[in-house]
Amino acid sequence: MSRRTKFKIDELKTDSMHIKNLEVDIGRIATEEDWEPLGPTPTPGILDLRNWDMKLLSRYKPLYAPICDLCCLCTYGKCDLSRGRRGACGIDIATQQARMVLIACCIGASAHIAHARHMVHHLIEEYGPDHRLDMGKEINVEAPLIRTVYGIKPETLRDLEDVLNWCEEQVVHCVSSAHTGQEADSLDYESKALHVSMADQVGMEVADIAQIAAFNFPKGDPGAPLVETGLGTVDKDKPIVLCIGHNVSSGVEAVDYLEESGLMGQVQMCGLCCTAHDLSRYEKARHARVKVVGPLSQQLKFVRSGMADVILVDEQCVRLDVLSEAKAKMTPVIATSDKICMGLPDRTMDPADQIVEDLYNGAPGVIISDVRKAGEVAIKTAVKIAPKRSKLKGQLLSTEELLNHAKRCTGCQQCMRVCPNNLPIEEAMQSAAKAASEPKKSAKAKAKAEEDPLQKLAELYELCVGCGKCEDACERKIPIHSMITKAAEKLIAEEKHKLRAGRGPILDTEIREVGAPIVFGEIPGIIAIVGCPNYKGSYKEVGRIAEEFLKRRYIVVASGCEAMDIARYRTEEGESLYEKYSGKFEAGGLVNVGSCVSNAWITGAAVKIASIFARRNIRANFEEIADYITNRVGACGISWGAMSQKAASIATGTNRWGIPVIVGPQGSKYRRMYLGRKDCKDDWYVYDARTGQKAYVGPAFEHLMYAAESVEECIVMAAKLCIRANDTTKGRMIKLTHYIDLHKRYFGTMPDDIHLFVRTMADVPITMKDEVLSFLKSKDWKENELPNPDATLIKRLIRVSKEG
Amino acid sequence: MKPVAAVKPWDVANIPGPVMAMPLDPKIAVAMIKRARRPLLIVGSRITEIELNGKKLVDYVVQLGKKGIHVIATAHVVGELMKHGCKPDAWMPLANIIDRLRDKDWVGVDGKGPYDLLIFMGIHYYFESQMLSTIKNFSPQTKTISLDREFQPNANFSFPNPNEKLWKEHLENIMTMLGK
Repeated sequence: MSRRTKFKIDELKTDSMHIKNLEVDIGRIATEEDWEPLGPTPTPGILDLRNWDMKLLSRYKPLYAPICDLCCLCTYGKCDLSRGRRGACGIDIATQQARMVLIACCIGASAHIAHARHMVHHLIEEYGPDHRLDMGKEINVEAPLIRTVYGIKPETLRDLEDVLNWCEEQVVHCVSSAHTGQEADSLDYESKALHVSMADQVGMEVADIAQIAAFNFPKGDPGAPLVETGLGTVDKDKPIVLCIGHNVSSGVEAVDYLEESGLMGQVQMCGLCCTAHDLSRYEKARHARVKVVGPLSQQLKFVRSGMADVILVDEQCVRLDVLSEAKAKMTPVIATSDKICMGLPDRTMDPADQIVEDLYNGAPGVIISDVRKAGEVAIKTAVKIAPKRSKLKGQLLSTEELLNHAKRCTGCQQCMRVCPNNLPIEEAMQSAAKAASEPKKSAKAKAKAEEDPLQKLAELYELCVGCGKCEDACERKIPIHSMITKAAEKLIAEEKHKLRAGRGPILDTEIREVGAPIVFGEIPGIIAIVGCPNYKGSYKEVGRIAEEFLKRRYIVVASGCEAMDIARYRTEEGESLYEKYSGKFEAGGLVNVGSCVSNAWITGAAVKIASIFARRNIRANFEEIADYITNRVGACGISWGAMSQKAASIATGTNRWGIPVIVGPQGSKYRRMYLGRKDCKDDWYVYDARTGQKAYVGPAFEHLMYAAESVEECIVMAAKLCIRANDTTKGRMIKLTHYIDLHKRYFGTMPDDIHLFVRTMADVPITMKDEVLSFLKSKDWKENELPNPDATLIKRLIRVSKEG
Repeated sequence: MKPVAAVKPWDVANIPGPVMAMPLDPKIAVAMIKRARRPLLIVGSRITEIELNGKKLVDYVVQLGKKGIHVIATAHVVGELMKHGCKPDAWMPLANIIDRLRDKDWVGVDGKGPYDLLIFMGIHYYFESQMLSTIKNFSPQTKTISLDREFQPNANFSFPNPNEKLWKEHLENIMTMLGK
């Protein structure tokens, strides 16, 4: 850590001089205590970890799937790069894809790091730079990623500033490499994508540490309270303030103002996306009965419903039509971040009451960059405007209007063609239109007819990702999205669920308990379900994935929009997963770490296993720790609905630590996967760190970043991707049991690659012995020559070289 | 050369560039399959979801399998295929098979050499589009056709967004023309 050092000498007399009133301000000096030996890569630059990247990329080669065959980034172009052609600058299509992936990762990393900067800046203004970071008594390794990558133990907000300076520098260098005439090699672009995404993870950790420390969010509390979530939970009889985005500062200020002004309990605070997660982590907000409306997919529905009396937006994943949609419902919008100005006037310097008056009188929105003032204005405006807007709340369409719109549908299917999931909208429209055209029935009677004419539209609700492209494509401007919402209004009213508030980090004590069983494979894996809600099917798919692994006593970790969607899922018995399973980081535990930036704690848990359980030095020691995780920590990320650039950088950053990630089929649009080839034996050798001998360990794990086509495929692959080179025989047996069982259940057959994972007879699952042995025989399987190496990919970690 | 009417991709925004698919009709499909030395049928999770007037897509897969075309089952459909009497030559994730197909040294699931024609069926539109893009750009010598309803711009040939009735007719015609 570094310190600003200041001292004053009132008077000093020596033989040669006489000093009076001397003040010295040295600025910053390094005062890092000697908590661990400094590893080889403090504050790493692009080249410092390139060798590690190349090791990963030689095993997991990028597969590119261009979504566009052109490059249009400079005025030489457009250049057609398809089928081996090169652009005017000499770039080929593989390099262009890698470049675009890097740019996406830079955007994602920038969003988190800028968020962190915003947060730290705000907190320093509030509490001063020397405000100490208190992560609670049960956490000693308070910042595993900062320690491992940057090389310090952060203690104050000022330390976080130093870390952010490094993060920002990495982003600038990486994004600059995407300029015309810079990087020429696709693998080097990938290395930069991995690098900037690692910086992203560090930036996320900074952001969450800052807000945990400053807002007193749960510090790894396994019993973090359950909060209400769902469109049906919002109390529309109260004035409603809706927060959208990812930076909770303005929402926190609004809650604080509620308390200061004695309005607690009189205003409904609610949120969409990660800012809702973070609001629910704020104790005062929970006292104010804040509601988590839901994930990004609910944004258009809720804004358009007119329920909100004021919308407070901060940053990231805010729909760009929020202002026009809100305007149609006379809902004023307050923008609080310089990232989202929406063309609104900056009223930051104006008196709060004047702004309230203007919003009440019809101003569509304002920018207020002072979050305290924004919070005050939001509350005052909501209270004042709510009576005036009461008739607009919850009004979408009448049933009669819906049926009339349905009759206008020509069946052109343009809506289906732009729908990310090709939902059968036309069929649903025709069903409603048919009922509307039946004579001698009132609209009400039609709606209550034996075959509910709106049923097919209502069924689309759970499958709809809420993008609204269908309406834009409709030549007749039929409000399809609103019709789906209207048809599903009963379902929506029942959307009342329980979500465990984001608990933030994993406790050191929890790591002590599960470190050994994870590394030895007795807990079969950690499954992290994170990211956006752009699913191929229903949101229920993420709940299904979570439940499958919870029942099998994996540790399931969740964050972001997918953590919210897990809350919407019900088991066959009608239970919610957050109520059924503990919030502890343990076998069969369901851990909601919180918002997007809380993702850092998931990777951080893997680092803590290396630090706390294996007692590896982590300080500035990225490569060794990533190698440890790669070979020992059976973890797999799933981002089933990955959509954003942030999701791209989160996944890529996770990959650099040696953790595989599965995305849904939409994730193929990211243009790149990192795929292993289990049929290429040479790719699966490691060094035995004890002897230096090379050892075949099989495809453990097979892919680093991979898009699955169906949820069944995802579940089976996730179990397989938890297999690690260093599993004990008992651990491997347990992992294989799950893999084979899941494969049989979802695929209807035995897997065809078991022989690649059975190292010795002791690995064979006891309960499946006969069929596995029969299979092994058919493959002419033989025991591995060196079945239990102390696996490493890094030559310098060999303790005794065979060559002497 | 006859001028070919431009077909818009199913997702009208999915315009990859100047190299786009040609419209497929049953005669072209049959000619390509018959001419191919080593055709490979790659089928996805929609083969069990889509039903065309009483006949499931999986039934066409079974028919094609019986005509000697190698079948790769992707996603989780291997069990369903077997229930329908078709044991695929291999099953693996779509990403895996595409990864192998772009490798010019890969000798196929039976070790007998590379495939010269890939036939796609029953795969989610956008995932299929992306994987066809990989083949188009990184294995341009391999011909591709999509038998799905949606026009796939990254294939060599693809049906031009027929309605379901016509799509079924196309599939039936292909089966008839391929003979026993």
